Amino acid sequence: MRWCFLLLLAAGLLRAQAPPGPSASGYVGSQACKTCHADVWFLFYRNPHYRSIASGAEPPERTGCESCHGPAKAHVEAHGGKTTIPRAFSLMQPGQVLEACLACHAKDFPKVNIRRSEHTRSDVVCTNCHSIHKSPAPRFLLARKQQNELCYGCHAAVRAQFSMPFKHRVNEGFMECTDCHNPHGTFTPTWRMAERPRLVDQALGNEEPCVRCHSDKRGPFVFEHAPVRVDGCETCHYPHGSMNAKLLHRPVTATLCLECHNGAGTFGTRNSGIMIQSASHNLLDPKYRQCTTCHVRIHGSNSDSYFLR
Amino acid sequence: MRKHWIWTIILLAQAAAAQEPVAPTPATVGAARGENTGDYNVTNSFETGYRFSQVGGNEGMYRSSVNYGNGIRLLSSSLSVHSRDGHGRWFDELVLTTSGLGNDPYQSAILRVQKNRLYEYDMQWRLNDYYNPGLTVASGLHLMDTARRVQDHDLTLFPDSRLQLRFGYSRNDQTGPALTTLQVYGSGGDAFPLFADVHRVMNDYRLGGDFKIFGARLSVTHFWEDYKEDTPVSLDGVTSSGLPNDPTTLTQFQRNEPYHGTSPGWLVNLFKERKIWAINGRFTYIGGTRNFLLDETAVGIDRFGGGRNREVLVGGNARRPVATGDFSFSLFPGTRLTVVNNTSVHNFHIDGDATYQELNLATLTSSIFNFQYLGIRVITNSTDAHYRVSKWLGFYGGYHYSTRRIALEEALAVPPGSDLTGNSYEQDNHLHTGLAGIRLKPWKPLSISLDGEIGRSDKPLSPVVDRNYHAIGARAEYRLKNLVLSSTYKENYNNNSVTLSTFSSRARNYTASASWTPRERFALDATYTKLHLDTVGGIAFFAGLGRPQPVLGLNSIYLSNIHAATLMIRYALTKRVDLYAGYSITRDTGDGRSAAVPAGLTNPVDQLLASVQTFPLSFQSPQARVSVRLSPKVRWNAGWQYYGYHEDFGLFAFNQNYRANTGYTSILWTF
Repeated sequence: MRWCFLLLLAAGLLRAQAPPGPSASGYVGSQACKTCHADVWFLFYRNPHYRSIASGAEPPERTGCESCHGPAKAHVEAHGGKTTIPRAFSLMQPGQVLEACLACHAKDFPKVNIRRSEHTRSDVVCTNCHSIHKSPAPRFLLARKQQNELCYGCHAAVRAQFSMPFKHRVNEGFMECTDCHNPHGTFTPTWRMAERPRLVDQALGNEEPCVRCHSDKRGPFVFEHAPVRVDGCETCHYPHGSMNAKLLHRPVTATLCLECHNGAGTFGTRNSGIMIQSASHNLLDPKYRQCTTCHVRIHGSNSDSYFLR
Repeated sequence: MRKHWIWTIILLAQAAAAQEPVAPTPATVGAARGENTGDYNVTNSFETGYRFSQVGGNEGMYRSSVNYGNGIRLLSSSLSVHSRDGHGRWFDELVLTTSGLGNDPYQSAILRVQKNRLYEYDMQWRLNDYYNPGLTVASGLHLMDTARRVQDHDLTLFPDSRLQLRFGYSRNDQTGPALTTLQVYGSGGDAFPLFADVHRVMNDYRLGGDFKIFGARLSVTHFWEDYKEDTPVSLDGVTSSGLPNDPTTLTQFQRNEPYHGTSPGWLVNLFKERKIWAINGRFTYIGGTRNFLLDETAVGIDRFGGGRNREVLVGGNARRPVATGDFSFSLFPGTRLTVVNNTSVHNFHIDGDATYQELNLATLTSSIFNFQYLGIRVITNSTDAHYRVSKWLGFYGGYHYSTRRIALEEALAVPPGSDLTGNSYEQDNHLHTGLAGIRLKPWKPLSISLDGEIGRSDKPLSPVVDRNYHAIGARAEYRLKNLVLSSTYKENYNNNSVTLSTFSSRARNYTASASWTPRERFALDATYTKLHLDTVGGIAFFAGLGRPQPVLGLNSIYLSNIHAATLMIRYALTKRVDLYAGYSITRDTGDGRSAAVPAGLTNPVDQLLASVQTFPLSFQSPQARVSVRLSPKVRWNAGWQYYGYHEDFGLFAFNQNYRANTGYTSILWTF
């Protein structure tokens, strides 16, 4: 009985260790591919997808070239030709490319919202941004050496914003687009009525990504400036770049503040309009035109309900 | 032929990089194949050199927008080590890249080390040396000269297995001198500049695991965020108001304000996929608390000439528990149709209490207990469908609905311990959004997309956010092997008017870009963007040459017309010499006026409002670079970049114009 068990175990182990070889389903193995595609194969060990080959334990349909391109038997027998490759990505429709990559990558949590992302909706799929075989980038197989170059390729208006005098330092290399955005799709935003997400990734506390770096603005504070929490930083700031100091919507703070603090309608948390400035504030006096000179803790304060300290 | 296309890709990539600062040099050097050492393949490169800058005009503004200085730098470096068989002893991949090390204001180091199936470690360290003169915000009284350092570490054990363990640590600290202000001895007084020694640090610890259960993938993360701010504020010498008829003087001032707290939380992700459907969810709970104490002493003379020795003590804490849930169901019967329904709930409140005590000459003059509660709950449901009719035609459409409740409670007790008096308010807001789009590919090189969105909200919180809005977008791209042409249009109109007050915003963006690589030695990249914005908002305030009077019924108008263009040309003069030239300009032409206040306006209020309606300025930056290959492994580079900032007319009499010549010379080599 013991010998039977050991034999079965040994057979099982041998079977598990046997390298995947040609099969009736048309898989020929990556060794066959390198015969003609030596240029791709030569540096493929640097590619994250090489892990499936190095492991030696994956089934043929999840190993090396054929894990993405499909069984190559017909391609080999035809002595090449794109149309004989089951999955030739340059010939595939965007949806097909997406599904091919998601066969393995769907389980990655940062990509679970990809099917409802703006990129997918716009037919921008994996191969638009990633170059699997000839990536010049050190990480993530990006199709450009720098991440921002890749994004600017389509988002020319964003390139212009980052060329303004006041901007986050993306061009300078301090930040990357993915510090704030998840190009693979995001969860529903928790600010601004979840309106138009624009692939904005969330900080760990489901807040706007701004507070990842600007942690002093995160709070909680006893006296919150409600729009910061309710509608987010974009209420007053342009996150990419601005012609105005501090990335503000307006060149001076007086008009920025007064456009909300006008007492009109039922705006504000008190349902009676947002309070107008005090009668002691004479706007013709220059010191009252720069509201944050006195209201220094405008994002929130623990000591003063008017954000004075 | 294949080599030709590799060159083309590299050239295009380099041309597109021209918007970056002139250094580091994007050229590659050495053999792409690297050197084999044992079972590993190694590639590395270093670019080191001297960077210089010469600034004329407003140096504060230069430091705020550019900030490159003089000195020797390790402009960039790259090291990669890969095991050639995927079975390295300690690791299979090690990639380290750096930029700006030495003394650039923007520095980074990125490291990735991983061994197949055993571990993955990612590290990112960054530094931003930030300077802001704060002129248009507080007349320079909010100057900042701080450095922010951000680092992230993530370690995953058994990354390809059914059970993965994850450990993470992030740190974000900001230190340096700054100015802040305080209006002392009453709201009618002047604001005094105070010195602040900024010390802020956030530490974030993460511990979690991913595993499979009942065919679903589950991820659980527990994290703690600790935040500490200890920024003492002090007065640098006796300071007087400087305003006529205001003798307010500060002779001594000191403020200590420790603000510490922690935010522990749980994050659970769930994902399951089958052939035609998938579900994913994310659920979080975070309980944040902050404790604070403020002790402030101000000795001096008030605006009525009386001596003051005021001490303010504030203590208390603030709490913010947050619970969220986000659940999506996706249906994809085939590759033509995808339907996704998402429901999300976000519920949190912030409540805090603070006890305020004010003493004058050691006598308690004011003692108040404040309590505030702000609760926000948002529930959203959205359905999006994407259908591809044929290879050349696709559609998508969607409907999103959001409902939000905001609750506010304000209460105070005078003196602390007596009954609380206050008010509570509640309001609801609903948003309905419809989306539609069409994707066309009538010809293989040409793709066209059209998008539309319309939204209706019944009660936004503030006048400047979207109420009745629509957004339209269009994009066309023509892509051949050596030529890419694209153009986009986007508009976003919003009308948030109510009785007696108006707010409307109209934004239109136009872009056109071209990338052309006719030969492997030549590449050209050009873009043009126009960003138009005009807004009008009803405002109310007090103003007057004597006693201020209420001013109602006027509008705040803002008009911006920003034209941005870039042109980049790269030319390989010989096999050894690369030339590069680039030019970028961003110009806001405003509404075309040549002076802040148009002629003919005599009313001071009208003059004031007119002066801030538009802010024309230009910011331009030509650059040039030469890169010479001295040997197969060494290049010599030199570059020049000019920055010119010019405001057509200053605001509030400030003018921040500057011009700067910057440049560098460097050696890029591999060894």
